[in-house]
Amino acid sequence: MIAPDSAAGLRAERRFDLVAAVLIGVIAVLAAILALVEMSAGQTASRASLQAAKVEADLSARISVSAEATNAVLTARQTAIVLAMEAIAREQAGIQYSDPTSTAIGAAEQSAYTKLDSILVETGATTGGKPVDPYTAGLLGATPADLKSELAEQNHQVDLANAAGFQEQLAVLGLSFLALAGVLTGLAAVLREGRSGRISLTAACVMSVAAGVLAVWAFI
Amino acid sequence: MAGEVIEGTASESRVVVVAEMTAGSGGAGSGDAGHGGVAILLTLAAVVAASIGFMAAMTSSSANSSWQSALRSEVKRSAAAMEDVRYVYGAELPLAVRIIQARTVQAEMLAAAQGQSGPTKAALLLEANVQGQIVTALDSTAGLATNTDYALSSGGLDLGKALAAERAQNPQLVSLDPDGLEAAGDKLAHKALLLTAALIPTSGAAFLAVLAQPFKRRRTLLLRIGGLALAGGAVMGLAVQVLV
Repeated sequence: MIAPDSAAGLRAERRFDLVAAVLIGVIAVLAAILALVEMSAGQTASRASLQAAKVEADLSARISVSAEATNAVLTARQTAIVLAMEAIAREQAGIQYSDPTSTAIGAAEQSAYTKLDSILVETGATTGGKPVDPYTAGLLGATPADLKSELAEQNHQVDLANAAGFQEQLAVLGLSFLALAGVLTGLAAVLREGRSGRISLTAACVMSVAAGVLAVWAFI
Repeated sequence: MAGEVIEGTASESRVVVVAEMTAGSGGAGSGDAGHGGVAILLTLAAVVAASIGFMAAMTSSSANSSWQSALRSEVKRSAAAMEDVRYVYGAELPLAVRIIQARTVQAEMLAAAQGQSGPTKAALLLEANVQGQIVTALDSTAGLATNTDYALSSGGLDLGKALAAERAQNPQLVSLDPDGLEAAGDKLAHKALLLTAALIPTSGAAFLAVLAQPFKRRRTLLLRIGGLALAGGAVMGLAVQVLV
């Protein structure tokens, strides 16, 4: 003897099985999508982070090298200027104290300054010239505009790493939800059609939807 | 009727329900075969997915390693360049400039002495002699100022040549190529992404295999499509691994 509500019971159980099966399939597909998103975001974050560090190292080298070269040449020219000032002081003192020797030494130093400065300008102009390798020449020839541009790139890479890191976190959270959804679906399959089973399955559906939303959010 | 899904519209009748349940139990043999197909497809999908995931993880790790090497190489290259520049411009150049200054002043003192006489000439020659002694004292310690390879006709120095010679002492540091390592990392990362993308058809196969369980009427079709999706995922993974 079969009870009058047997068919309805069978249909409900069928629907329960169908939902559970579809949910398992959706979890599998969502896991693949979230894995792809997580991989992509993780790689972007790693690369941007390392690129930021790389640019930072290059920026530091450019500042250090260009400043070293510029300072060295300027310091040399300051030495020449000191010579010129000494020459003028000697000439003035020679005139003031009617000492032709001092005036003559001052004049010779003045002439030496003119030649020395010319030599130092020419020497400074060879900075970064051939046959220096292109990388070192680039460091030596860095201008403030170059440094500013590189700094902007470094900041951009840091921002990119942060944004990609956030995407990666969303994907990981989505995968965590999916794992929970998988466990709940398994629990529902054990409990079968009934109040507890339906609650487990509903919770698994909610978790899967949340994981799907996180996947879309992370992808965007 | 063996293996058919229970239709909702026909289930209200007690007779039909009995008939369908009987049909379900009577078709146990084909149902087991269907279950076997589902289990096999799911198992294969899991194995393929695990293999692809492993390959993707290894490739991604290699990409990361290559990027790390690029950073290390960049730091090493910049440190080497900074040290060479510091040596030439910070240690060698000031001494060389002092020698050039002494030479120039000496030459001008001697030239000025030509047109002088008496104590002025003597003072100019004395000053020239002082500068000459400075040059002599420093010459032995300043390779930059005394090496004729770097001398300009004006009396100055070719700092480009001097720095290139300094850098050439460690050619392995000059030839470091962090950009090349970074490009290699980019290529590996792209490969890892493509491998991970192969998980999507594989997971689609798992999806279809699971769907084949409740949809008994379409089970064969779903299993076949699932098999094709699985093959597609496996081929994609292999192709990426071999060709990219």
